[in-house]
This record gives sequence, C-alpha cells and structure tokens, in this order.
Amino acid sequence: MSIGSAFGRLYRGETTVDYYGKRKPAFLVSGVFLLATVVALVLGGLNLGIDFKGGVAWEGPATATLDQDAVREVLEANGIDTSNAKLQTLQGIDGERIRVQVGDQPDEVRVAVQKALAEKAGIESQEVSVAAVSSSWGRSITLKAIRALLVFFVLVSLYIAWRFEWKMALAAIAAMAHDVLISVGVYAIFRFEVTPATVVAFLTILGYSLYDTVVVFDKVRENIDRFATSKMSMGNIVNVSSNQVLARSLNTTLSSALPVISLLVVGSYIMGATNLQEFAIALLVGMLTGTYSSIFIATPLVAILKNREPKYAAVAGAVAQGAEMAALFEHTTTRAAQKAAAESQVSRESSVLKNTSSNVLTHPPRPRKRRRR
Amino acid sequence: MKRRLFASLIGIVLVAAVAIGFTVGSGDRPSLGLDLQGGASITLQPEGEYDALALDVAVEIIRSRVDAIGVAEPEIIRQGDTVVVNLPGVKDQQRALDIVGRTGDLQLRPVLQSGSVDPTGGTGDTGNTDPVDTTVPEEGGPGEARGARPMVDTTVPTTDTTAPTTDTTVAATDTTVPAPGVEPIDATVDEESAGVTTANDLPEGSEVLLGRDGFAYLVGPVAATGLVFENNASANIQGSSWSVVVQLRGGAEGEDIWNALTSRCFSRDTTCPTAQVAIVLDGEVISAPVVQEAVFTGGEVQITGDFTEQDARDLAKILEFGAVPVKFEVSQVQTVSPTLGSDSLRAAIISGLVGLALVFLLMLAYYRFVAVIVFVGLAVSISLQFSIITYLSKTNGLALSLSGIAGIIVSIGIAVDSYIVFFERLKDELASGRSLRNSAQRSFEGAWRTVLAADTVSFLAAAVLWWLTVGSVRGFAFFLGLATLADVVIVWFFTRPAMLLLARSKFMATRSMFGIKQPKTGEVAP
Repeated sequence: MSIGSAFGRLYRGETTVDYYGKRKPAFLVSGVFLLATVVALVLGGLNLGIDFKGGVAWEGPATATLDQDAVREVLEANGIDTSNAKLQTLQGIDGERIRVQVGDQPDEVRVAVQKALAEKAGIESQEVSVAAVSSSWGRSITLKAIRALLVFFVLVSLYIAWRFEWKMALAAIAAMAHDVLISVGVYAIFRFEVTPATVVAFLTILGYSLYDTVVVFDKVRENIDRFATSKMSMGNIVNVSSNQVLARSLNTTLSSALPVISLLVVGSYIMGATNLQEFAIALLVGMLTGTYSSIFIATPLVAILKNREPKYAAVAGAVAQGAEMAALFEHTTTRAAQKAAAESQVSRESSVLKNTSSNVLTHPPRPRKRRRR
Repeated sequence: MKRRLFASLIGIVLVAAVAIGFTVGSGDRPSLGLDLQGGASITLQPEGEYDALALDVAVEIIRSRVDAIGVAEPEIIRQGDTVVVNLPGVKDQQRALDIVGRTGDLQLRPVLQSGSVDPTGGTGDTGNTDPVDTTVPEEGGPGEARGARPMVDTTVPTTDTTAPTTDTTVAATDTTVPAPGVEPIDATVDEESAGVTTANDLPEGSEVLLGRDGFAYLVGPVAATGLVFENNASANIQGSSWSVVVQLRGGAEGEDIWNALTSRCFSRDTTCPTAQVAIVLDGEVISAPVVQEAVFTGGEVQITGDFTEQDARDLAKILEFGAVPVKFEVSQVQTVSPTLGSDSLRAAIISGLVGLALVFLLMLAYYRFVAVIVFVGLAVSISLQFSIITYLSKTNGLALSLSGIAGIIVSIGIAVDSYIVFFERLKDELASGRSLRNSAQRSFEGAWRTVLAADTVSFLAAAVLWWLTVGSVRGFAFFLGLATLADVVIVWFFTRPAMLLLARSKFMATRSMFGIKQPKTGEVAP
C-alpha cells in the first residue's frame, strides 16, 4: 500500500484501524508510563519552585565579574547558607543569565544581595530581577489550585453526564487524569522546576484533553444513535467513530501543537526565553497524550463500560475488521443522511425518541424543489 | 435566509474592523504585565481579623499612596481578598514596599481651625495674620477647593435625641466653610477660633491636613482612633437626608475615650475651639462634624449632614475600617528587570507569529482555498479579542502577562479546531453524495453541536480557575475564557454565513470542495 493511498483514506476518513482490539496494548503502554510517573513522584517528588515553598530568587546577566562563584561569595557575605542554594546559568538572547534561589530571607537581605550582585556585575541594581514569596503564600496558592481542580472535576463530570451519559463522564475524567499524570511525570522524571507557569500548562492540558475527548464522544454518541435499531457491538461503534474523527484529531493536534512547537523552538532555543521552554515542553507532551488518550483510552473505556449493558453484552465479541468495517462507514453515512433528513425538522433533544423514524425513511432524500417565483 | 446570512457576515466583519480601527486609531495598547515590561509587583494578604468592606478602604488607601509617589500606570488589583500592587518601572523597591505595606489608620482629632484653601495663592485678606493663612496654601496648593464635596454641614447628635439643633449648627458651620458652588472666600478663618490660637499656642502634634471637601483643617493631636467604634457602621436614610450611625465600644477602650473628646469639644475647650471632630484617614480629613452632645449616653453616634447616598456609604465604610483596621502581610515581592521583560515579550510575540504562519500553511495545504475562510475568521477573531483586551486593560487594569500570551497562543489551536470539525463533517457529507449546498447546512448543524459542547468544557475550566485561583493562573484563565467565547461567536456569526454563502455561490458551482466532486443539481446520491 502506497503512502499516497493511505493518506487518501485518512483524508476521506476511511481508515479501518481496530482501535478497540488494540485496547490492551494501549492500556499496557499507558500503564507503564503511569507507573514511571508514580515511581518518579515517590522517589524524587516534584522540583517545586519558590512560588510553592517560599523563598527568594535573584536573576541577572552573567558577566565576566559575576559568575557562579562570585554569586556564592555574595550570598555568604550576607549570611546565607549556600549549601541549599540553587544556582543556574541560563542561555538568554543577549548572552548568559545567572539565577540563584534560596529559602525565605528577610527584606533587608533581599535588597542587600540585589545591590551586591549588581555591584559585582557592574550594572544598575534594577537590572537584577528579584522574586520573593512567603512560604504561607506558596501553600495557599497550591491549596487554591487543588480546590479549583476538584470543583472543576465535579462540574465537568456533571456536564458530560448531562450532555452525554455518566459512563462517558467517567471515561473522560479517566483520560484526563491519565494525560495530566503523564505530564506531571515528565516534570518529575526530568526534574524540571514547577512554577506557576507549569500549573498553567497542566491546566491547559487538562482543558485540552477534555475538549478533545468531548469532540470524539460527540461522534460516538452520534453513532450510538444511528445504530440504535441495529444489533451493533460497542466495539464496532467506537472503531467507526475513532476512524471517522482520526483526520480531525490529527489535524487539530497538529494545528494546536504548531504554535507550541514554535514557542519551544523559536521562543526558547533561538530567542533564549528560557522561562517559556519548560512550559512549552509540558504543553507539547500534554497535547500529544491528549489526542492519544481520546482515541486509545477514553473511547475503549466507554465501550468496556457500555458492554455491561444487556443490549451490547450480547454482541460484545463481534468486532468487524478491514473491509467489513469499511462497509459499516457506508452504512453509517447513508443512514446518517436519512436520519438527518428525518430530523431536520425536529429538535435535537428529541432525537433519541425519534430514532425509529429512520427505519421508515429508507429512500434517499428527495432533491429540493425549485422555489416558485 | 440568504439576506440574514449576509447581514451576519457583514455585521461581524464590520464590528471587528471598527473595533480594531478604533483601538489602533486611539493609540491604546494593552498594558503589559510586569514580567513583560519590568518593575515591581507586591502581593498583599490581609492578616488576622478583617472586614470585607474595610478591605475596600484599605485598597483605596494603598491606591492613593501609590498615586502620591508618582509611579507611571500603577496597577492595584483585588483578587478575592488578595491585593496585588504592580508598579511598573519602579526603581526603589524597598521604598515601594514601605509605602504599600504600611497599615493605614483612622484617627479622631479635634479641629482647631479650618479654612478654605486660597486658590489664588494667598492674595486674600491682607489684615489677617493667623498662622493658618500662610500654612494652608502651601500645603494645599492652588485649585484644591475646586474639587469641593458637599460634606460640609455635618452634625453629630446621638440618635436618642431628635437632633433639634441642626439648623443652628448648620448655619454656624456655613459661615465657617462656604458651601460648594460658592466661590471660595480667600483664606476664611473660623470666626470662633480667630485669635484664639497663635503659632506659639499650638499643642504638640498639631498639623494642617487637607479635607476631602477641599478645605484645610488645623487639627490637634490624635484624641482617639477608629477603634472606639464597633464594627457596625451603617448608612441610613431619614426623610430625605442620609446619615451614618455607628455604635461605640463600651468601657475604657471606647465610650470613655470618645466622651472625653466630645465633652471637650462640646464645651469649646481651647483644645477643641471649633467643636468639630475631624475624622482623619491616612492623613486626609474625611469629615469634620460638629459635636452636639457632651456625653453620648446611648452608646450610639449619628453623623448627619448634607450627604449624598455615596458620601454616607463611603463614610460608613471608613468607620468600619477604623474599627477593624486591615493589616497586610507581604506574601510575594517580585521585581523584573526591564531587559528580561522585553526579551520575553519579543520571544513570545515572534514565536506566536511563527506558530500562526505554520498553522496557516497547514490549513492551506490540507483544505486548499477554503483555508481563506480560516484566515479571515482568525483575523476577525484576533481583531475582536485585541480590542477587548485593550479596552479592558484601559478600564479595568487588565494586564497582559507572559502566561496570558501563552494562553492566547494555545487558544489558536482551539479556534482552528472549530473549522477542522466543521470541514471534516462537510467532507463526510459530500462523500455520501449530497450537494454542496445541502452538505454545508447539515454539517454546520453537527459541527455547531460539537463546538458548543467542547467550548462549554473549556469555558467551565476557565471560569472555575478564574473564580478560585490567584496570580498568573487567573490571568491565563481569563484569556482562555475570552478565546473560548470568541470562538463561539466567530463560528456562529462568521464561519456559518461564510461557509453557507460560499456553498451557494456561483464560484463553487463549478468547483469541487476538498477534492470531492459534488453531484449536479437534481442528481441523486448512489
């Protein structure tokens, strides 16, 4: 099979990949990543920035007179224990920058160190950036973020349960947790520093993951409605849905990821805005897992949950492959046309009740009459 | 139907064009957060027991102090109980911290003398040698009296006496302090106090303070603080006039101190010759009512006067603040050097533009000429959002921070997704053999449902984060929410009419969309 025709089938939404059949390997792969995350979290934990645990950070241009040793000297001269100080040299657009982080310090020390560093480097003191956070503040914003997250979980579950059904809500939340956990895992494994920007990135991932899952679920629900009168297994329904939305998923992922990749490559490597770098990495990982989990985690989970319903339990084993699956698309699209024709006059809410009407209307839609003058 | 689609399409493009034209024309730009332009940011959190109303007053105090140090475009944002003070370009961060972090207090001080500020700079009554005449114009400066507010004829009767003496007091106060609207008389000195005080007699701790009403007051030492009051000041209306009622705290801490002051004033003692008590907040005389009772036996104080509702409510708030002063803890200090800030801004803007260009190329390669609709749609959406952000940053002090820019870059993906969902459905419909015109209508209905569901989830996320978090996460949430709303608006008012009209157009009649040939009119799907 040539690449061209594979793309053509993808373009027309006619790929016949058995995603449902591959659920076990997919779950296994995700399981391995999740396990790695848990191990990294238990062994090393997250590298929390000063915004979460409190402390002071200074940042200024690294000059010939201001290197890491010079910074250490300044800290010691001001009575700060340097054994726990975190020193970093960052690549910036106008040369290297040096950044140092220590625990909570009184106001006077903070200003004194800023002045001393500026003096060493031979620059004005306002050229040295300072950030200081009290530890209680750090705790309170962490608590606020967690509380916001819990409220959000509840609201989203209720919304999806109302808009779709509770089984889908459960699967969507599971997929979202999967994405966020793996992104957190990247931070834990590579010891990236967690800053408020990181939290923003995690939240974006969470929103993106749900958004993507909702788009796929909308298709699944549509197909459930369409096959409502035929004895179609959940495996078939999710396979058809996933294949139908694949082109959309890939396209969306690409167009969401392109700006982020640009942020990563142009912003952080070329322009040297290092504070964007880790943010962009987290986002990229999150977006990729978000797309992956919608198709490989969320939809198979829905199928597994729904297979317990008597209606689907009877046909649980029947999953069409290859050409058979392609035939289902045909069925879907013509049925879709019929159903849409039948439904165009009735409201969306009553669609479940009106399902039977699609049996009556088995002829193709009548072409529109020309309007009389 | 067709006319309505055109109206919607032209309407949204026109709105966007006018909005962006107006924004660019007026020369306004969104104000930048400190991480993008450099400066100092101080986050304050109230400590211990405090009152929500009192917090407003505390924020006002900070605001006026910051205004006084003359920082360009300071920003004072309240996020729940947290107050964020952003001082762009401030050099001396220690001084800024001192000014912002100090707790404001409410003082009650006897008024020794009061007078209007001479707007012409002391060319008035030549025969007058009273110290106030010379001090007042210096302190106040010209033009102060122009902002006079009608807080003039104030009286303090207790509520249990039915304030019969109001008329006389008002008359007396009126001669002292001219009512607003009347041209201020040059350096008028209170009749009763004229000649009583001279520079040598001034008690220790006296000073000249400006009043909100535009008059200057020579006040004696602090006789009491706002702590004499209970935390229950309220603004009430009686007949047609507003007044403020507040309870006194019992015992030595409250009533005793208050009554010592009022009896001094009531008897027009030399330490309080005008019988007025100045309510001073952070060095400003808020109100200077005339005392009507020697001893407030009922424990309740009523301040009446020519108040508007707003005046009365403000005074009540200030008394509440005095009763429970808000102490702030400095929980976060951040200074960003101007170079670091501008570097980040440049990096974010350039990478945003590059990202946008890449998305355009992808759309063009995949959807060919239909991608033009994506371009125009994004342009309309960006114009609208830019105008809204600029407007809000001017009126509400919204600042574009690095995390906000990140939110915007991320939202490009969400905006483009709406088109992708729509186009993919359209492809499905076309593939099943429908005419372009029919497919466009049907696929929009399906796509609209999906977009609404997905955007609702996104918006929920943004709203919850905005309500429940602080700092950069909140900034991000705002921009995500805005982008989500813009997406819904654009899909309905722009994408829908644009695609439906394109599908009906003569241009499309001879072409195939997405490389799928449409059947000729009247031909039926196989």
